[in-house]
Amino acid sequence: MDLDALLPAIVAGDADAFGRFIAGIELDLRRSLRPFATRVDIEAVVQEALLRVWQSAARIVPDGRPDVLVRFSMRVARNLAISEIRKKKELLPGDDEVADAYDDSEGAPPDPMLRRLIHDCFEKLPPQPKMVLGMRLENRGAEPDLKLAEEAGMKLNTFLQNVTRARKLLGDCLEHRGVSFIGRAP
Amino acid sequence: MTEKRDDEALVEEVVSAYRERSVFGEIRPSPAFYDLDDDGRLRAFEEANRARAMESALDPQGLSTTAHALLARIKAGR
Repeated sequence: MDLDALLPAIVAGDADAFGRFIAGIELDLRRSLRPFATRVDIEAVVQEALLRVWQSAARIVPDGRPDVLVRFSMRVARNLAISEIRKKKELLPGDDEVADAYDDSEGAPPDPMLRRLIHDCFEKLPPQPKMVLGMRLENRGAEPDLKLAEEAGMKLNTFLQNVTRARKLLGDCLEHRGVSFIGRAP
Repeated sequence: MTEKRDDEALVEEVVSAYRERSVFGEIRPSPAFYDLDDDGRLRAFEEANRARAMESALDPQGLSTTAHALLARIKAGR
C-alpha cells in the first residue's frame, strides 16, 4: 500500500486516514527503534512520535522520492528517542545514526489467512485469559491495567499473569498450526 | 497501589498501550519500565511487537491498541 497517498487526507484532518497510515507503519516504526529499547519506553516514543506526525503533517514537503511520510515518521521517532536519552545523559556513540537503517523484512501486515488463524486461536483460549486479553483489546489503551483488573474482579498481578498466559497460549496455538508470526515468548 | 509485582508482571504492564500524560499533554513512559533491567526491557519490547501484531490481526479495522489509543486522543482534541 502506498502510504504517501494518504497524506492529503491526513493534512485535511481525516483521522481515519491517519489510522490507516498507523496500521501500515506501526510495526516497522517499532522495530526501527529497537536500538533504543533498553533506554527509553518505546511505546511512549511511538505514541508521542505519531501524535507529532499528525500535528505536523501539513508541513511535510514531498521530495520526489517514495515513502516521504514513512521516512518523516521514522525520523521524528528516532529524534524523539535520542532526545529522551539525551535528557538522561545516556547517549552513546552511534545513536544518531543507528535507527536510519531499520530492518523492514518482517514489516508486511498479516494476511487474511493469518488473521483467521489468530482469530481462531483467540476464540480457543481458556475463559480467564480470553477475558482479560479481550478486555485489553476492547479498552484500546484508554485505561491502566489496574482499572481493568478491578473491573475483572482480579488483583493486578493476577490480571497481568492472565494477559501473559493468553499471549503465550495464542503463540502455542499458532505454532501448532505452523505459524511463527507471533510465536512463543522467549 | 502497593502490590509488589514480579518481572513478568512489570513486562506486561509495559506492553500495555495505556500511557499517562503529563500536564503539558506529553505521553509519559510507563513507571514499570524503570523497574525493569535491560533484559526485561528488551523482553517488553519484543512482547509489545507481538501484542500489537496480534491486536491488529484481531481488529476489524486492522488497528492495534496503540493506534486506537492515539486516534481516541486525536479525535478528543489532541
